[in-house]
Amino acid sequence: MSLRNSLLRAPATLRPLLVQQPARALYHSYEHSPAPPYPETETKILSSALTHVPTHGFTQEALNLGARDAGYLDISTNLFRKGAFDLILYYLVTQRLALANRVQFPDTTTGVGLKVRSLTMSRLRANGEAGVVPHWTGALGHMSLAENIPASLRELAKLSDEIWFLAGDKAVDASWYTKRATLSSVYAAAEMYQTQDQSTDFKDTEAFLDRRLEEVRVMGSAVGGTMQWAGFQAGAVVNLLRSKGMRI
Amino acid sequence: MSSHISRASKRLRIAQQPTAAGWMCNSCRRSFASTNRSMQTPEQQRKEAEKTTHFGYETVAESLKASKVATVFSSVASSYDTMNDLMSLGIHRLWKDHFVRGLNPGIRPSPSSSSTTPREPQRILDIAGGTGDIALRMLDHATTLNRDTTAHVTVSDINPEMLAEGRKRLSSTPYAAANRISFLEANAENLHTVPDASIDLYTVAFGIRNFTHKDAALREAFRVLKPGGVFACLEFAPNLSNPLFNAVYKRWSFSAIPLIGQVVAADRDSYQYLVESIERFPKQEDWAGMIREAGFVVPGQGREGAGQGIGSEGWEDLSFGIAAIHKGVKPL
Repeated sequence: MSLRNSLLRAPATLRPLLVQQPARALYHSYEHSPAPPYPETETKILSSALTHVPTHGFTQEALNLGARDAGYLDISTNLFRKGAFDLILYYLVTQRLALANRVQFPDTTTGVGLKVRSLTMSRLRANGEAGVVPHWTGALGHMSLAENIPASLRELAKLSDEIWFLAGDKAVDASWYTKRATLSSVYAAAEMYQTQDQSTDFKDTEAFLDRRLEEVRVMGSAVGGTMQWAGFQAGAVVNLLRSKGMRI
Repeated sequence: MSSHISRASKRLRIAQQPTAAGWMCNSCRRSFASTNRSMQTPEQQRKEAEKTTHFGYETVAESLKASKVATVFSSVASSYDTMNDLMSLGIHRLWKDHFVRGLNPGIRPSPSSSSTTPREPQRILDIAGGTGDIALRMLDHATTLNRDTTAHVTVSDINPEMLAEGRKRLSSTPYAAANRISFLEANAENLHTVPDASIDLYTVAFGIRNFTHKDAALREAFRVLKPGGVFACLEFAPNLSNPLFNAVYKRWSFSAIPLIGQVVAADRDSYQYLVESIERFPKQEDWAGMIREAGFVVPGQGREGAGQGIGSEGWEDLSFGIAAIHKGVKPL
């Protein structure tokens, strides 16, 4: 806040000099390639810690081993105040950003709904490929701690925004919000289901996801239809009252 | 300037109060009589030495600050821990516990790495560690939680009286018998007896505020730390984020703390200095900036979404920001 105030007080010509690092855009920019999500030192330790997650889970132990692999000391994990949760968050952020490269849609005729489905499924498969599924219940436990809930929900919202953006959704009405909210809940449910999935190649999870997306679609069209019907009725009431001589 | 003189004269009056003098040791009174005399003539000191620094709200020559701080701590050494309990209502223990738990000292022996070569023991340097309460917590944490029986703590303090308190307290612990504690009387701005890149963890709890050259101390910390080593500092912050709490807190610190000091330790001046030095310490942002300037990597800086949510500012506020924990990691 203070930075912003002092920046605005400076003459307009000097402002670019005062901005030390380019501010990260809050939107998807086509012109600027995004800055790496984590600084260099943290990236080194966290990325090597992730390789220990399949054996040690999202724990301080995995962080310590990662720090050692990267040439740091056990004590260097003090860079991560929340320990295991910082590792989980790093996993979530990197997987979200990797999604754009994981899924390509060469066929331009694919519908937005299908794209959302394949993007979501691809994100869920990434959990399996990274070998974190057996440890994911523990990670969900960390995420649901009161102090971590805001950061976890923010990350979930960003993931669902990323999926809708990559699917090419260009809605600018109220459905922008409802789409993201429903996809967030569907994704969270599917991820929970995935931790208990015994089938090969997450077939059950895929079926679960399809059922939930179908429900959302039916629900969405029902809600949309109801809203349209309510709109017509309201218009009719207004016209009826006008025909009776009321000045509306 | 008149305010300085009036405050100095007020202090002189307080120091001469017969009630307090009844149970005040003679050496303390003598040393304080001399400090008061020197406080009366700040103009002369400024002429003598061009470079000045602050000692609480006073402005003193840089060369004098260390000796003035030494006088303060010599006089409070024996009642230091009691006073901390009274002034912070016991909360300083929670802060210190939290500080040590967050640092997680000690290397946990992992079952998988038993075949690999044994790692060299962790070396911890506790600067301004005087009475040794951080050192004791460090060793307890390393031994009981991480089952690390090799971690070693060097307690360093500039003040021999404070160090003597620590020796007295730590010599009866099993850690002293296992040779896991050593003592070092040194100025943190010049740790020439500590070799380069030899320390895993450098801690300073409620001490760095009293240093004359904080940047020199940070450079020295950077020098003695191993690559990947951690600088950790627990210190009071000058202002609370919430203005209402801040007003209450300022009332407490400026009226109650000197009074408690006068009643319990028979030493109002030292505790007046204590609260004034807290006011003079840089704000959290500025202090984090100084740590970064010394070359440390400050946690959370430059992460995606920096500035939103807890954990992204690079420091941790304790009890609404009365104290704050700052950390820095020396890059490889």
